Amino acid sequence: MNIYFQLFSREIRVAFKRWTDALTGFILFFLIAILFPLISDSNKEFLLTIVGPIMMFSAFFASMLSMQNMFKPDFQNGTIEQLMLSKGSFVSLILTKTIAYWLFTSLPLILISGLTASIYFVSASGILIIQLTLLLSTLTMVHINAFTAAITLGIRYPGALMTLIITPITLPILIFGSKTIENSILGADISGPLYFLTGMMMLSFFLGPWITASALKISMD
Amino acid sequence: MNLKKIYKYGSPPNFYRFAMKLEPWCLSLGLFLTAIGSIGGLFIAPKDYQMGDAFRIIYFHVPSAYLSMSAYAAMGIASIIGIVWRSNVAFAVAKSIAPFGALMTAVALITGMLWGKPMWGTAWVWDARLTSEFILLLLYFGYIALHATIKEQKRADRAASLLAILGIVNLPIIHYSVVWWNTLHQASTISKLDSPSIVGEMLWPLLLMIIGYMIFFIGVICRGGSAEVLMREKRSNWVKEV
Repeated sequence: MNIYFQLFSREIRVAFKRWTDALTGFILFFLIAILFPLISDSNKEFLLTIVGPIMMFSAFFASMLSMQNMFKPDFQNGTIEQLMLSKGSFVSLILTKTIAYWLFTSLPLILISGLTASIYFVSASGILIIQLTLLLSTLTMVHINAFTAAITLGIRYPGALMTLIITPITLPILIFGSKTIENSILGADISGPLYFLTGMMMLSFFLGPWITASALKISMD
Repeated sequence: MNLKKIYKYGSPPNFYRFAMKLEPWCLSLGLFLTAIGSIGGLFIAPKDYQMGDAFRIIYFHVPSAYLSMSAYAAMGIASIIGIVWRSNVAFAVAKSIAPFGALMTAVALITGMLWGKPMWGTAWVWDARLTSEFILLLLYFGYIALHATIKEQKRADRAASLLAILGIVNLPIIHYSVVWWNTLHQASTISKLDSPSIVGEMLWPLLLMIIGYMIFFIGVICRGGSAEVLMREKRSNWVKEV
Protein backbone atom coordinates (compact mmCIF):
# COMPACT_ATOMS: atom_id res chain seq x y z
CA MET A 1 0.00 0.00 0.00
CA ASN A 2 1.17 3.48 -0.80
CA ILE A 3 2.88 5.24 2.12
CA TYR A 4 0.93 8.48 1.60
CA PHE A 5 -2.37 6.64 1.63
CA GLN A 6 -1.31 4.78 4.76
CA LEU A 7 -0.45 8.02 6.50
CA PHE A 8 -3.73 9.54 5.36
CA SER A 9 -5.86 6.73 6.73
CA ARG A 10 -3.85 6.72 9.93
CA GLU A 11 -4.47 10.46 10.35
CA ILE A 12 -8.19 9.98 9.83
CA ARG A 13 -8.34 7.18 12.38
CA VAL A 14 -6.41 9.24 14.92
CA ALA A 15 -8.63 12.23 14.26
CA PHE A 16 -11.73 10.17 15.03
CA LYS A 17 -10.13 9.19 18.34
CA ARG A 18 -9.45 12.86 19.13
CA TRP A 19 -12.78 14.13 17.92
CA THR A 20 -13.01 16.79 20.66
CA ASP A 21 -10.34 18.86 18.88
CA ALA A 22 -12.43 19.21 15.77
CA LEU A 23 -15.62 19.67 17.74
CA THR A 24 -14.23 22.64 19.70
CA GLY A 25 -13.55 24.60 16.54
CA PHE A 26 -16.87 23.61 15.09
CA ILE A 27 -18.81 24.80 18.14
CA LEU A 28 -16.83 28.04 18.30
CA PHE A 29 -17.55 28.76 14.63
CA PHE A 30 -21.25 28.13 15.13
CA LEU A 31 -21.51 30.10 18.38
CA ILE A 32 -19.75 33.23 17.10
CA ALA A 33 -22.07 33.30 14.11
CA ILE A 34 -25.17 32.85 16.25
CA LEU A 35 -24.19 35.25 19.01
CA PHE A 36 -23.62 38.22 16.74
CA PRO A 37 -27.25 38.79 15.73
CA LEU A 38 -28.26 38.21 19.34
CA ILE A 39 -26.02 40.78 20.94
CA SER A 40 -26.11 43.38 18.18
CA ASP A 41 -28.82 44.64 15.90
CA SER A 42 -30.82 41.92 14.20
CA ASN A 43 -32.36 43.74 11.27
CA LYS A 44 -31.80 42.30 7.84
CA GLU A 45 -29.73 45.03 6.17
CA PHE A 46 -27.28 45.26 9.03
CA LEU A 47 -26.79 41.50 9.16
CA LEU A 48 -26.21 41.33 5.43
CA THR A 49 -23.46 43.94 5.65
CA ILE A 50 -21.57 42.14 8.41
CA VAL A 51 -22.00 38.54 7.31
CA GLY A 52 -18.75 38.49 5.29
CA PRO A 53 -16.42 39.64 8.07
CA ILE A 54 -18.23 37.44 10.60
CA MET A 55 -17.81 34.33 8.49
CA MET A 56 -14.11 34.92 7.86
CA PHE A 57 -13.51 35.94 11.46
CA SER A 58 -15.18 32.90 12.97
CA ALA A 59 -13.46 30.54 10.53
CA PHE A 60 -10.13 32.15 11.41
CA PHE A 61 -10.71 31.72 15.14
CA ALA A 62 -12.04 28.21 14.84
CA SER A 63 -9.00 27.10 12.86
CA MET A 64 -6.68 28.83 15.29
CA LEU A 65 -8.24 27.11 18.28
CA SER A 66 -7.67 23.60 17.03
CA MET A 67 -4.27 24.11 15.48
CA GLN A 68 -2.21 23.82 18.67
CA ASN A 69 -2.74 20.08 18.52
CA MET A 70 -1.77 19.77 14.88
CA PHE A 71 1.74 18.39 15.43
CA LYS A 72 2.11 18.35 19.20
CA PRO A 73 0.83 14.82 20.03
CA ASP A 74 2.69 13.33 17.06
CA PHE A 75 5.79 15.24 18.06
CA GLN A 76 5.64 13.90 21.60
CA ASN A 77 5.04 10.28 20.66
CA GLY A 78 7.71 10.32 17.97
CA THR A 79 5.56 9.99 14.87
CA ILE A 80 7.09 13.08 13.24
CA GLU A 81 10.54 11.65 13.71
CA GLN A 82 9.48 8.41 12.06
CA LEU A 83 7.98 10.34 9.16
CA MET A 84 11.25 12.17 8.74
CA LEU A 85 13.15 8.89 8.61
CA SER A 86 10.70 7.13 6.31
CA LYS A 87 11.48 6.62 2.66
CA GLY A 88 8.73 8.89 1.33
CA SER A 89 9.40 12.56 0.72
CA PHE A 90 8.97 14.44 3.98
CA VAL A 91 7.42 17.45 2.25
CA SER A 92 4.73 15.31 0.59
CA LEU A 93 4.06 13.51 3.86
CA ILE A 94 3.51 16.86 5.53
CA LEU A 95 1.17 17.84 2.71
CA THR A 96 -0.80 14.63 3.25
CA LYS A 97 -1.01 15.32 6.94
CA THR A 98 -2.13 18.90 6.36
CA ILE A 99 -4.90 17.84 3.99
CA ALA A 100 -6.13 15.16 6.40
CA TYR A 101 -6.14 17.78 9.12
CA TRP A 102 -8.06 20.19 6.92
CA LEU A 103 -10.69 17.52 6.17
CA PHE A 104 -11.34 17.06 9.83
CA THR A 105 -11.27 20.62 11.13
CA SER A 106 -12.34 22.87 8.25
CA LEU A 107 -14.67 20.83 6.07
CA PRO A 108 -17.34 20.65 8.83
CA LEU A 109 -17.20 24.46 9.08
CA ILE A 110 -17.90 24.80 5.37
CA LEU A 111 -20.81 22.37 5.62
CA ILE A 112 -22.39 24.13 8.59
CA SER A 113 -21.76 27.60 7.11
CA GLY A 114 -24.84 27.15 4.90
CA LEU A 115 -26.96 27.01 8.01
CA THR A 116 -25.24 29.91 9.77
CA ALA A 117 -25.40 32.07 6.64
CA SER A 118 -29.13 31.53 6.39
CA ILE A 119 -29.45 33.00 9.90
CA TYR A 120 -28.09 36.18 8.30
CA PHE A 121 -30.79 36.12 5.59
CA VAL A 122 -28.31 35.33 2.82
CA SER A 123 -29.94 34.07 -0.36
CA ALA A 124 -29.29 30.58 -1.75
CA SER A 125 -26.79 31.74 -4.39
CA GLY A 126 -25.06 33.87 -1.76
CA ILE A 127 -24.67 30.80 0.44
CA LEU A 128 -22.88 28.99 -2.36
CA ILE A 129 -20.48 31.91 -2.74
CA ILE A 130 -19.85 31.93 1.01
CA GLN A 131 -19.06 28.24 0.94
CA LEU A 132 -16.74 28.64 -2.02
CA THR A 133 -14.96 31.51 -0.28
CA LEU A 134 -14.59 29.51 2.91
CA LEU A 135 -13.31 26.53 0.92
CA LEU A 136 -10.58 28.58 -0.75
CA SER A 137 -9.62 30.51 2.36
CA THR A 138 -9.51 27.58 4.77
CA LEU A 139 -7.35 25.67 2.30
CA THR A 140 -4.92 28.60 2.48
CA MET A 141 -5.20 29.11 6.21
CA VAL A 142 -4.49 25.48 7.01
CA HIS A 143 -1.00 25.84 5.53
CA ILE A 144 -0.33 28.99 7.53
CA ASN A 145 -1.58 27.25 10.65
CA ALA A 146 0.62 24.26 9.91
CA PHE A 147 3.67 26.49 9.59
CA THR A 148 2.89 28.32 12.82
CA ALA A 149 2.19 25.12 14.72
CA ALA A 150 5.44 23.65 13.41
CA ILE A 151 7.63 26.60 14.27
CA THR A 152 6.27 26.97 17.81
CA LEU A 153 6.48 23.25 18.51
CA GLY A 154 9.23 23.33 21.10
CA ILE A 155 7.67 26.13 23.12
CA ARG A 156 5.72 25.28 26.22
CA TYR A 157 2.96 27.92 26.17
CA PRO A 158 2.80 29.08 22.55
CA GLY A 159 -0.70 30.61 22.59
CA ALA A 160 0.03 34.34 22.48
CA LEU A 161 3.05 33.91 20.24
CA MET A 162 1.02 31.88 17.75
CA THR A 163 -1.57 34.63 17.53
CA LEU A 164 1.13 37.22 16.96
CA ILE A 165 2.72 35.19 14.17
CA ILE A 166 -0.46 34.09 12.48
CA THR A 167 -2.42 37.35 12.35
CA PRO A 168 -0.28 39.38 9.92
CA ILE A 169 0.17 36.44 7.58
CA THR A 170 -3.52 35.59 7.43
CA LEU A 171 -4.71 39.18 7.05
CA PRO A 172 -4.82 39.30 3.20
CA ILE A 173 -7.01 36.20 3.11
CA LEU A 174 -9.42 37.68 5.64
CA ILE A 175 -9.62 40.92 3.67
CA PHE A 176 -10.26 39.31 0.32
CA GLY A 177 -12.55 36.65 1.70
CA SER A 178 -14.90 39.16 3.26
CA LYS A 179 -14.59 41.31 0.15
CA THR A 180 -15.83 38.40 -1.99
CA ILE A 181 -18.83 37.78 0.23
CA GLU A 182 -19.62 41.48 0.45
CA ASN A 183 -19.46 41.87 -3.34
CA SER A 184 -21.69 38.88 -3.92
CA ILE A 185 -24.32 40.26 -1.54
CA LEU A 186 -24.18 43.70 -3.13
CA GLY A 187 -24.53 42.06 -6.54
CA ALA A 188 -21.14 43.33 -7.68
CA ASP A 189 -18.49 41.46 -9.60
CA ILE A 190 -16.76 38.88 -7.41
CA SER A 191 -14.18 37.60 -9.86
CA GLY A 192 -11.36 39.92 -8.70
CA PRO A 193 -11.14 38.92 -5.02
CA LEU A 194 -12.02 35.33 -5.90
CA TYR A 195 -9.07 35.10 -8.28
CA PHE A 196 -6.88 36.55 -5.58
CA LEU A 197 -8.05 33.93 -3.09
CA THR A 198 -7.44 31.18 -5.63
CA GLY A 199 -3.97 32.53 -6.31
CA MET A 200 -3.19 32.61 -2.60
CA MET A 201 -4.39 29.04 -2.31
CA MET A 202 -2.12 27.90 -5.14
CA LEU A 203 0.82 29.75 -3.64
CA SER A 204 0.24 28.27 -0.21
CA PHE A 205 -0.05 24.75 -1.62
CA PHE A 206 3.22 25.29 -3.42
CA LEU A 207 5.19 26.95 -0.61
CA GLY A 208 3.38 25.83 2.53
CA PRO A 209 4.53 22.20 2.83
CA TRP A 210 8.14 23.19 2.16
CA ILE A 211 8.20 25.85 4.81
CA THR A 212 6.32 23.67 7.29
CA ALA A 213 8.71 20.79 6.69
CA SER A 214 11.76 22.96 7.24
CA ALA A 215 10.17 24.48 10.36
CA LEU A 216 9.58 20.96 11.69
CA LYS A 217 13.19 20.07 10.96
CA ILE A 218 14.33 23.12 12.90
CA SER A 219 12.08 22.22 15.80
CA MET A 220 13.36 18.65 15.83
CA ASP A 221 17.05 19.34 16.34
CA MET B 1 32.91 39.25 -8.35
CA ASN B 2 35.33 37.95 -5.81
CA LEU B 3 33.27 35.93 -3.33
CA LYS B 4 36.27 35.12 -1.17
CA LYS B 5 36.41 38.69 0.04
CA ILE B 6 32.81 38.48 1.16
CA TYR B 7 33.33 35.10 2.79
CA LYS B 8 36.11 36.65 4.80
CA TYR B 9 33.59 38.79 6.67
CA GLY B 10 31.53 35.73 7.47
CA SER B 11 34.08 34.71 10.06
CA PRO B 12 33.27 36.29 13.43
CA PRO B 13 36.69 37.83 14.25
CA ASN B 14 36.97 39.45 10.84
CA PHE B 15 33.44 40.74 11.03
CA TYR B 16 34.07 42.08 14.51
CA ARG B 17 37.18 44.01 13.50
CA PHE B 18 35.53 45.34 10.36
CA ALA B 19 32.39 46.41 12.23
CA MET B 20 34.35 48.09 15.00
CA LYS B 21 36.31 50.04 12.40
CA LEU B 22 33.18 51.05 10.52
CA GLU B 23 31.00 51.84 13.52
CA PRO B 24 32.35 55.21 14.79
CA TRP B 25 32.50 56.58 11.24
CA CYS B 26 28.92 55.60 10.47
CA LEU B 27 27.54 56.81 13.78
CA SER B 28 29.26 60.19 13.62
CA LEU B 29 28.56 60.77 9.92
CA GLY B 30 24.93 59.73 10.40
CA LEU B 31 24.53 62.05 13.41
CA PHE B 32 26.18 64.88 11.50
CA LEU B 33 23.94 64.51 8.45
CA THR B 34 20.83 64.18 10.61
CA ALA B 35 21.80 67.31 12.53
CA ILE B 36 22.28 69.35 9.34
CA GLY B 37 19.10 67.89 7.92
CA SER B 38 17.05 68.80 10.99
CA ILE B 39 18.43 72.32 11.10
CA GLY B 40 17.66 72.71 7.41
CA GLY B 41 14.24 71.17 7.80
CA LEU B 42 13.16 72.90 10.97
CA PHE B 43 14.55 76.41 10.40
CA ILE B 44 15.61 77.01 6.83
CA ALA B 45 12.96 75.29 4.70
CA PRO B 46 9.98 77.52 3.85
CA LYS B 47 6.51 76.98 5.25
CA ASP B 48 4.15 74.77 3.35
CA TYR B 49 1.38 76.85 1.83
CA GLN B 50 -1.34 74.44 2.95
CA MET B 51 -0.02 72.86 6.10
CA GLY B 52 2.05 75.72 7.52
CA ASP B 53 4.70 74.71 9.99
CA ALA B 54 3.09 71.39 10.79
CA PHE B 55 4.53 69.80 7.68
CA ARG B 56 7.99 69.88 9.24
CA ILE B 57 7.30 66.58 10.96
CA ILE B 58 7.89 65.07 7.52
CA TYR B 59 11.61 65.31 8.24
CA PHE B 60 11.24 62.65 10.91
CA HIS B 61 8.27 60.75 9.58
CA VAL B 62 9.50 59.90 6.10
CA PRO B 63 13.04 58.74 6.99
CA SER B 64 11.77 56.47 9.75
CA ALA B 65 9.09 55.05 7.48
CA TYR B 66 11.70 54.39 4.78
CA LEU B 67 13.98 52.79 7.28
CA SER B 68 11.29 50.63 8.87
CA MET B 69 10.77 48.88 5.56
CA SER B 70 14.38 48.70 4.40
CA ALA B 71 15.36 47.39 7.82
CA TYR B 72 12.89 44.56 7.37
CA ALA B 73 14.34 43.85 3.94
CA ALA B 74 17.84 43.86 5.41
CA MET B 75 16.70 41.51 8.16
CA GLY B 76 15.16 39.18 5.60
CA ILE B 77 18.31 39.14 3.46
CA ALA B 78 20.49 38.50 6.50
CA SER B 79 18.13 35.66 7.45
CA ILE B 80 18.37 34.11 3.99
CA ILE B 81 22.16 34.30 4.12
CA GLY B 82 22.09 32.81 7.58
CA ILE B 83 19.89 29.89 6.58
CA VAL B 84 21.67 29.15 3.32
CA TRP B 85 25.26 29.41 4.53
CA ARG B 86 24.58 28.68 8.21
CA SER B 87 26.41 31.87 9.01
CA ASN B 88 26.42 32.83 12.65
CA VAL B 89 27.33 36.41 11.81
CA ALA B 90 24.30 36.81 9.56
CA PHE B 91 22.02 35.54 12.31
CA ALA B 92 23.60 37.96 14.76
CA VAL B 93 23.08 40.84 12.33
CA ALA B 94 19.47 39.87 11.69
CA LYS B 95 18.79 39.66 15.39
CA SER B 96 20.33 43.07 16.04
CA ILE B 97 18.30 44.69 13.26
CA ALA B 98 14.95 43.60 14.67
CA PRO B 99 14.60 45.93 17.71
CA PHE B 100 15.86 48.92 15.73
CA GLY B 101 13.44 48.22 12.91
CA ALA B 102 10.57 47.86 15.35
CA LEU B 103 11.58 51.18 16.93
CA MET B 104 11.62 52.89 13.52
CA THR B 105 8.20 51.47 12.71
CA ALA B 106 6.85 52.74 16.00
CA VAL B 107 8.38 56.19 15.39
CA ALA B 108 6.88 56.31 11.90
CA LEU B 109 3.47 55.38 13.30
CA ILE B 110 3.60 57.88 16.16
CA THR B 111 4.85 60.81 14.07
CA GLY B 112 2.25 59.90 11.46
CA MET B 113 -0.47 60.04 14.11
CA LEU B 114 0.81 63.38 15.40
CA TRP B 115 0.81 64.69 11.87
CA GLY B 116 -2.56 63.24 11.02
CA LYS B 117 -4.34 64.78 13.98
CA PRO B 118 -4.16 68.43 12.79
CA MET B 119 -4.18 67.62 9.05
CA TRP B 120 -6.86 65.00 8.62
CA GLY B 121 -8.69 65.64 11.88
CA THR B 122 -8.07 62.15 13.21
CA ALA B 123 -4.98 60.43 14.48
CA TRP B 124 -5.83 57.13 12.90
CA VAL B 125 -7.63 56.11 9.75
CA TRP B 126 -7.94 52.64 8.32
CA ASP B 127 -5.82 53.62 5.41
CA ALA B 128 -3.61 51.31 3.42
CA ARG B 129 -0.22 52.59 4.42
CA LEU B 130 -1.04 53.05 8.06
CA THR B 131 -2.43 49.57 8.24
CA SER B 132 0.49 47.94 6.49
CA GLU B 133 2.91 49.86 8.68
CA PHE B 134 1.06 48.53 11.70
CA ILE B 135 1.21 45.00 10.32
CA LEU B 136 4.94 45.51 9.82
CA LEU B 137 5.20 46.32 13.52
CA LEU B 138 3.39 43.06 14.30
CA LEU B 139 5.82 41.16 12.07
CA TYR B 140 8.77 42.65 13.94
CA PHE B 141 7.17 41.75 17.26
CA GLY B 142 6.57 38.22 16.03
CA TYR B 143 10.23 37.87 15.10
CA ILE B 144 11.48 39.29 18.39
CA ALA B 145 9.04 37.25 20.47
CA LEU B 146 9.82 34.00 18.65
CA HIS B 147 13.53 34.60 19.03
CA ALA B 148 13.16 35.38 22.70
CA THR B 149 10.90 32.45 23.50
CA ILE B 150 13.04 29.64 22.11
CA LYS B 151 15.77 28.98 24.64
CA GLU B 152 18.31 27.24 22.46
CA GLN B 153 20.34 29.75 20.45
CA LYS B 154 20.70 27.89 17.15
CA ARG B 155 17.12 26.78 16.97
CA ALA B 156 15.89 30.27 17.83
CA ASP B 157 18.04 31.75 15.07
CA ARG B 158 16.80 29.42 12.40
CA ALA B 159 13.14 29.48 13.41
CA ALA B 160 13.03 33.28 13.61
CA SER B 161 14.87 33.56 10.29
CA LEU B 162 12.32 31.31 8.64
CA LEU B 163 9.62 33.62 9.96
CA ALA B 164 11.47 36.68 8.63
CA ILE B 165 11.76 35.08 5.17
CA LEU B 166 8.07 34.24 5.17
CA GLY B 167 7.41 37.84 6.15
CA ILE B 168 9.48 39.07 3.19
CA VAL B 169 7.41 36.93 0.83
CA ASN B 170 4.21 38.03 2.46
CA LEU B 171 4.87 41.74 2.92
CA PRO B 172 4.10 42.76 -0.70
CA ILE B 173 0.91 40.69 -0.57
CA ILE B 174 -0.17 42.36 2.65
CA HIS B 175 0.73 45.75 1.29
CA TYR B 176 -1.23 45.41 -1.94
CA SER B 177 -4.16 43.76 -0.25
CA VAL B 178 -4.59 46.81 1.94
CA VAL B 179 -3.79 49.24 -0.87
CA TRP B 180 -6.86 48.05 -2.75
CA TRP B 181 -9.08 49.62 -0.17
CA ASN B 182 -9.68 53.29 -0.61
CA THR B 183 -6.73 55.35 0.45
CA LEU B 184 -6.55 58.69 2.24
CA HIS B 185 -2.78 58.92 2.65
CA GLN B 186 -1.17 61.46 0.34
CA ALA B 187 0.79 60.01 -2.54
CA SER B 188 4.46 59.66 -1.74
CA THR B 189 6.39 62.82 -2.34
CA ILE B 190 9.78 61.74 -3.60
CA SER B 191 9.37 58.23 -4.94
CA LYS B 192 8.81 59.70 -8.38
CA LEU B 193 12.48 60.28 -8.97
CA ASP B 194 12.21 62.23 -12.21
CA SER B 195 9.86 65.00 -11.09
CA PRO B 196 9.52 65.29 -7.33
CA SER B 197 6.40 67.14 -6.22
CA ILE B 198 8.33 69.11 -3.62
CA VAL B 199 10.48 72.20 -4.02
CA GLY B 200 14.25 72.03 -3.76
CA GLU B 201 14.50 74.00 -0.54
CA MET B 202 12.23 71.53 1.20
CA LEU B 203 13.78 68.53 -0.53
CA TRP B 204 17.45 68.73 0.39
CA PRO B 205 16.98 68.51 4.15
CA LEU B 206 14.69 65.55 3.64
CA LEU B 207 17.21 63.72 1.48
CA LEU B 208 19.93 64.52 4.01
CA MET B 209 17.73 63.13 6.77
CA ILE B 210 17.06 59.92 4.86
CA ILE B 211 20.73 59.37 4.02
CA GLY B 212 21.72 60.28 7.56
CA TYR B 213 19.23 57.81 9.02
CA MET B 214 20.49 55.09 6.69
CA ILE B 215 24.14 55.62 7.63
CA PHE B 216 23.28 55.81 11.29
CA PHE B 217 21.35 52.57 10.87
CA ILE B 218 24.43 50.86 9.41
CA GLY B 219 26.40 52.07 12.41
CA VAL B 220 23.79 50.71 14.80
CA ILE B 221 23.87 47.33 13.04
CA CYS B 222 27.66 47.27 13.32
CA ARG B 223 27.44 47.96 17.01
CA GLY B 224 24.58 45.58 17.76
CA GLY B 225 25.91 42.87 15.49
CA SER B 226 29.42 42.95 16.90
CA ALA B 227 28.08 42.91 20.46
CA GLU B 228 25.92 39.93 19.56
CA VAL B 229 28.88 38.15 17.94
CA LEU B 230 30.95 38.75 21.08
CA MET B 231 28.17 37.30 23.23
CA ARG B 232 27.95 34.19 21.09
CA GLU B 233 31.64 33.57 20.80
CA LYS B 234 32.49 34.38 24.39
CA ARG B 235 34.27 31.07 24.91
CA SER B 236 36.55 31.32 21.88
CA ASN B 237 40.14 32.48 21.99
CA TRP B 238 39.92 35.57 19.86
CA VAL B 239 37.35 37.15 22.16
CA LYS B 240 39.69 36.74 25.09
CA GLU B 241 42.30 38.65 23.15
CA VAL B 242 39.97 41.55 22.39
